Amino acid sequence: MTDWNATSDADFRKEVRQFFEAEYPEELRHLPHRPKFAEIEHWHRKLHAKGWVAPAWPAEYGGMGLNAAKLLIFYEEQQRWGVNRGRDMGVQMVGPLIIKFGTQEQKDYWLPRILSCEDIWCQGYSEPGAGSDLANLRTRAEIDGGEFVINGQKIWTTMAHDATHIFMLVRTDPDAPKKQQGISFLLAPMDQPGVEVRTITTLSGETEFCEVFFDNARTPSENLVGELNKGWTMAKALLSFERIFIGSPSLAQNALGQLESFARGRGAFDDPVFRDRFAQAALDVEDHAALYARFADQLKRGETLGADVSMLKIWVTECFQRITELMIEAAGPDGGTIGPLQVGNVSVDVLASFYKARPTTIYGGSNEIQRNILSKAVLGLPG
Amino acid sequence: MTQTDTVSSEQEDLRLLRESARTLFERAGGSGRARKLRDADGGFDPKMVRELAEAGVFGVAVPEDQGGLGMGLAAGGVIAEEAGRVIAPEPVVLTIGLSLGLLRRLCPEHPKMAQLIGGEISLAVAWQERGPGGAPANATCRYADGRLTGSKAWVVGATGSHGFLVVAKGDDGPVLVLAEADADGLVTTRRAQADGSSLGELSFSGIPAAELASGDAVQAALAEAVADATALAAAELVGLSECAFEITLDYIKTREQFDKPIGSFQVIQHRAVDLNVMCEVAQAGVREVLALMDRETDQKVRAQLASRAKARAVTTAKRITRDAVQLHGAVGYTDEFDIGLYLNRALVLSAWLGDDAYHRRIWFDAREAEGAAQ
Ligand SMILES: Cc1cc2nc3c(=O)[nH]c(=O)nc-3n(C[C@H](O)[C@H](O)[C@H](O)COP(=O)(O)OP(=O)(O)OC[C@H]3O[C@@H](n4cnc5c(N)ncnc54)[C@H](O)[C@@H]3O)c2cc1C
Repeated sequence: MTDWNATSDADFRKEVRQFFEAEYPEELRHLPHRPKFAEIEHWHRKLHAKGWVAPAWPAEYGGMGLNAAKLLIFYEEQQRWGVNRGRDMGVQMVGPLIIKFGTQEQKDYWLPRILSCEDIWCQGYSEPGAGSDLANLRTRAEIDGGEFVINGQKIWTTMAHDATHIFMLVRTDPDAPKKQQGISFLLAPMDQPGVEVRTITTLSGETEFCEVFFDNARTPSENLVGELNKGWTMAKALLSFERIFIGSPSLAQNALGQLESFARGRGAFDDPVFRDRFAQAALDVEDHAALYARFADQLKRGETLGADVSMLKIWVTECFQRITELMIEAAGPDGGTIGPLQVGNVSVDVLASFYKARPTTIYGGSNEIQRNILSKAVLGLPG
Repeated sequence: MTQTDTVSSEQEDLRLLRESARTLFERAGGSGRARKLRDADGGFDPKMVRELAEAGVFGVAVPEDQGGLGMGLAAGGVIAEEAGRVIAPEPVVLTIGLSLGLLRRLCPEHPKMAQLIGGEISLAVAWQERGPGGAPANATCRYADGRLTGSKAWVVGATGSHGFLVVAKGDDGPVLVLAEADADGLVTTRRAQADGSSLGELSFSGIPAAELASGDAVQAALAEAVADATALAAAELVGLSECAFEITLDYIKTREQFDKPIGSFQVIQHRAVDLNVMCEVAQAGVREVLALMDRETDQKVRAQLASRAKARAVTTAKRITRDAVQLHGAVGYTDEFDIGLYLNRALVLSAWLGDDAYHRRIWFDAREAEGAAQ
């Protein structure tokens, strides 16, 4: 097995780049929508054969075992070439949780299936009454013999209609003194009579997220990860990693590249005001990357990230939104037009980028919630 | 100021007009009607066009001696605001501002005038062309011997219109011609818009067309009609913004998280206040512009006023609809909630006839030119 961390950064970058450029299907580059698994299956097979599905996982579990520095390079190259992340909730979210808190049996059973995409995962946290206030969740799971019986509803479950399994936070002790207590982390199969999935159409007409209803759905009791009633703490432990991931410069950098070629083709740079706004956005991205590197270095040194990592997400998502708004401005009279707009030999789907940017300030902990966290946990403001 | 205050501070005739337009739109189904039409085929409802006509809507800004109500652009703005509130897909601003704006200035005797005012037909206006980079370019579309050749872009209302008013180059300068929608050799390509409507790209291969007017008067009338439509589109955005704000205000009062309405969090309260202030500023600015345009005769000044209105309205509508989605959380990102319809409509109305950045540039250039002339 290759010890990638022993390779020089430059060599590693070259190798990753070459692989993407040679093997990634041209028609899947910079996909404007979230693909179903079937659409990217062929690519996933190649990645799997190469052993590159889970760059962050330790090698012993079939990952690449990359350290933080190499991981950033990997993501940068993925981004640069417009390589779709695929159906990565298994790799990004459940896998690390099982690695950290799961039993040996759970690791042996689930991890290879995540890598092969035999199981495709969706994240069942949010509920109609539990969005920002996630601890308010009500979906119940009760032990009945060797099984949990699940009743309730999840919502906004991304790609649930194309998933085989759901990892979820459920209430297992409704009488616990605090809402955060009495929540457990469960894995459950979707293909059963007690689970019903309804897609929700977004304002751009896509069907990316769903409602998932549980009516006496069942999952074996060995699908509890970690201790009973300790799910909240575990889910929180994952958050700091998630927040640096969600705060990474990639979405904004990618959008900036699209903005530049589009604006150039449209002649928008003839206007000094537009040049200024573009420069502002470009510098916002660059300086954010510098701040991001600071947090990444912390990770590289093996330190855990503090609450201050939230600032990355706030900055980059709002910057991403401004960049896509500039694209619309550059599109002028085509600014309300759906689908790719052609300029010279590039085509840019301006509205798709705009729509993609909108919910980034809502999901992953809304930006208002991130600001609350920063003001309390970092600035020490009372309240 | 509350909604009723602003309404009651209006002139009596405008207030009555607003009330009847609001009732008409609400009775027809409010924003739910827009959703149904979008889901059906993205067009508008010809029956609604006739109902609006019966209420005098299309002729509001046409002088009385030309068969209209003679109430001016200010009245047109009232209608546009009300159409914006329910995101009505009917060609209200298109007809009041552009098609009738052109006809009443160039050929008020033409029978199409009465048909437009009567809601029997609607006509789209094709005046812009696409250049090599995709951006607007100078007109090259040719009209000679009763035949039209060339292409036009960004035609609003191309779907459902009975014909096109086309600005072209004739033998002796600019001409305005009328082409029927079913003319042989007319090819319409539709580009789907965010709100379910479409923009037409027209191409004419020597299609038959009737000349309505020619000479410099055509350019002058076009500039005036575009200014009118620009200011009216601003009014439509004002109505849209107000309603999007009201929907959001209701939502933050009722949605609970952390055991209280999210509207009890101070950061949300301040956001709501900022949006409300923006709305009021935009409404005051745009209404003033429309009133001033009614009194002003200098074309350049009128165009500058229209730019002032559109710049303000676009900035406001963009900010309000985007913040509205944010304040709704994930439900705001769904199609099921109306707020997304307002966001999408705002995108389309913002791009039409120039966005805020464009109009600020035009406004400033006009200001400089005026300064230099003094
Ligand atoms: C595209 C998309 C994909 C998603 N995918 C998933 C998924 O796969 N799985 C999953 O479990 N969830 C998913 N979510 C849900 C997401 O986690 C929630 O939308 C998020 O937690 C916010 O909750 P909410 O939508 O209920 O908004 P609410 O919590 O109702 O918030 C509404 C507004 O109020 C603000 N607000 C709330 N509380 C406060 C406060 N205390 N102070 C100040 N402002 C406040 C919010 O910031 C927001 O602006 C997804 C959401 C989106 C938009």
